[in-house]
Amino acid sequence: MLNYLIKRILWMIPMLIGISLISFFIMHLAPGDITSNESAFNPKASEESRQKLRELYNLDKPIIVQYGLWLKRIVQLDFGSSFASHQRPVLWEKKDENGNIKPGLIQKALPITLLINLLTILLIFSISILLGTIAAIKKNKIPDRMITLFVFIGFAIPGFWLALILMYSLGVVNQVLPISGLHSIGYEQMSKLGQILDLLKHLALPVFISCLSGLAGISLYVRNGMIEILNQDFIKTARAKGLYEKKVIFVHTLKNALLPLITILGLSIPGLIGGSVIAESIFAIPGMGKLFYDAVLMRDFPVVMGILTIGSILTLLGNLIADLAYAWADPRIRRGLAK
Amino acid sequence: MHKFLALLILSLVVGCNNSQNLDNTNYDDLIPPESGGALTNAMIGEPNNLIAMIAGDSASSAIAGQIFNALLKYDENLGFEGDLANSWTISDDYKKITFNLKQDIKWADDEPFTCEDVLFTWKKVTDPDTRTPYGSDYQLVSKASCANNHIFIAEYDEPYAPALETWASLHILPEHLLKNENINDTYFSLNPTGSNYYALDEWTTGQQVKLKTNPNSVHGRPLLEKKITRIIPDLSSQFMELIAGNIDLMNINPIQFSRVFPSRSELNDKINLYKEMGNGYTYFGFNLKKKPFDDINIRKAISYAINKEEIINGVLLGLGEEITSPYKPGTYWENKSINKISFDVSRSRELLEKSGYQLNANNIYEKDGKPLAFEILTNQNKQREMTAVLIQRRLQDIGIDVSIRVIEWASFVNRFIKTGEFEAVVLGWSLSLDPDQYSIWHSSQQGPGQFNFIGYNNPRVDTLLENGRKELNNEKRKQIYDEFSKIIYDEQPIIYLYAGYGLTAIHKKIKGVKKITPPAGVFHNDYEWYIPRKFRRNEMSL
Repeated sequence: MLNYLIKRILWMIPMLIGISLISFFIMHLAPGDITSNESAFNPKASEESRQKLRELYNLDKPIIVQYGLWLKRIVQLDFGSSFASHQRPVLWEKKDENGNIKPGLIQKALPITLLINLLTILLIFSISILLGTIAAIKKNKIPDRMITLFVFIGFAIPGFWLALILMYSLGVVNQVLPISGLHSIGYEQMSKLGQILDLLKHLALPVFISCLSGLAGISLYVRNGMIEILNQDFIKTARAKGLYEKKVIFVHTLKNALLPLITILGLSIPGLIGGSVIAESIFAIPGMGKLFYDAVLMRDFPVVMGILTIGSILTLLGNLIADLAYAWADPRIRRGLAK
Repeated sequence: MHKFLALLILSLVVGCNNSQNLDNTNYDDLIPPESGGALTNAMIGEPNNLIAMIAGDSASSAIAGQIFNALLKYDENLGFEGDLANSWTISDDYKKITFNLKQDIKWADDEPFTCEDVLFTWKKVTDPDTRTPYGSDYQLVSKASCANNHIFIAEYDEPYAPALETWASLHILPEHLLKNENINDTYFSLNPTGSNYYALDEWTTGQQVKLKTNPNSVHGRPLLEKKITRIIPDLSSQFMELIAGNIDLMNINPIQFSRVFPSRSELNDKINLYKEMGNGYTYFGFNLKKKPFDDINIRKAISYAINKEEIINGVLLGLGEEITSPYKPGTYWENKSINKISFDVSRSRELLEKSGYQLNANNIYEKDGKPLAFEILTNQNKQREMTAVLIQRRLQDIGIDVSIRVIEWASFVNRFIKTGEFEAVVLGWSLSLDPDQYSIWHSSQQGPGQFNFIGYNNPRVDTLLENGRKELNNEKRKQIYDEFSKIIYDEQPIIYLYAGYGLTAIHKKIKGVKKITPPAGVFHNDYEWYIPRKFRRNEMSL
């Protein structure tokens, strides 16, 4: 088991280098760089000044050299600074000689994205398990049909459209929820509890919208898994023994049906740091999606690479954790690994 | 299921509803000015850097402009007036400008403002190590010096007519805070000290920038105590915040201006709309180095075939104007004597036939067996895309085969414009206040990354542009640029399509906004704006 773990972790190093190499080259395939975007059509900005900047950022060097420079920095865990004129550090805050702190871009964007995604995943899984179980028990009856219909509507409905409709009805017409942003004006003066409530109010719509599209997949997983297991012999045995139906469903069936969800959960770990550009723009949430999207449009290479690198590390870790959790939950796999 | 959905929404709705309901308030009362209060507006992007010479984005300059002063500024009729300078004199040979700076002025941190600050700023903007795209204008100053603490002198080797404009756009920075700093990544750019009406109060990354009045403001105290700029990237969300009363003003689009507002009287009860000439124009430009666009008849034929009025009505819902020179309609530099080329299909056909084109079996003009066909390139900009479609249709009607290609901005600039691999573009330029158009039209400005990328080359225009830069007598200068505008319009290297209006919606609780917008724009007198106490939000933090 330990050997397996070490092997897996060591394998991650060449994988990461490969991923970063490919990302780096693909990123540079897109025409342009930050210097041509910032002031491309400003008649007051001269081409010489742009050339100067290109040299400053080593953008005039061959790509492979640029990659080498990037790799050299990244192995020292230095994600560098953004090319944008704020020059903020990509990952974490930096202190200058006078003790002033420039906040890191990912540092500022990540917590809110993580919070939204964790809430979303939590809601998706709990609601889906509930819906999936009901659907499986009432298979092909009205509740099952209604649930399937509902989750598919939720899946198919364009999120940005529903978001705007809800913002209008709940934020403008009936002012029960804030329309956009993270905090109300005057947030600093609220009590701790008030601040949490204020934040939750602001997150209600974004979380609801991102939940809605995720329900379909998971609830159908649960439903189909449940149905398959309900037809198995050991369930018949359990019922024949005279166990309460509740125990049959929740202990014997559900537990087994939830196994595949572990993989899905593991695979959703990298997704935790990714945000939806559209939702973040509409709700004015300064999260990872917008950060990444803007960086790509601006060709802000250090930021793009920083987010991609963290994303790939999390993807690889997510896979590993999923596999390990699987082994932990399913004795059959555990024994396979031991061999 | 409905019950479930409702329950779900309800369960997410926590806390109470504390929004005030001001819907029945009458905002039209006349109330005398009262200072205090906070104005809330929104921006689509976060400022990068509040040192404007380093930042390149409009969000940064909008915020920095409230914190810093230049030597000069524009008055409401777009003439110059003193900002940090009291007065200025230009020497008889036009090569020396002497600025008399205001005295007894302090930075927001109580340090005195002196000529050394101006000199320091000039040194920084011309320093090759400064990461600024704007250095070239100031490099023309051959010698800058301080005669004493409040006289700044800028000397040029040659007369440079746009010089005053350049001194109206350079924010003067405090030397005492920056002399030991690396200006490219100093913390000062996030927490600046300036001299204008406002100072930075609090900047919540990604969410809002809050300004408060600067007690040492050069021009005295503004009436509004605070200005909060929220960052809301999506314009529909901004609009909802506006009609819900959470932000006080925003720029709106033609649909909101002439469709949404007229149909909803309750909005007009609380929001005023303002219309002014915008800052840019949209044009249809040709790559003059490629056939058939080197032929003036073809360009004119296309110009006659396009219905500009239709484009203004279709794209801007009529909220724009046709222009004949690259200057704001109605301002001094506009050449008002130019006759517009108007929609005229038969004139267009005449010109095409004059150049040897004949209609073929497919109803497309062709010459020597080659059909008249080209591609219009534009970037992802809804108005430009719609414009291209309307042009395509009109040209199709007459017998020119046009396709459209829409490309992401960075690729557009680097893959096509820089390399010159395009046939025609729909793009925009700003309507500059100074008439100098050297970088766009002079034949020397055709290198990769320069702005005469359509390849316009006319020795007479070159001479005019060179002379126009050296002429400081406004009347003589006007003659030069009138001739320049006329030549460009006669030759149609680009077809001017429209200059759109800037549309602003401002909540009626904001008082002091001028009913008739001056040429300098609706925000020109925002230091006189105020919010009467009874209309202010109940904001605990203020």
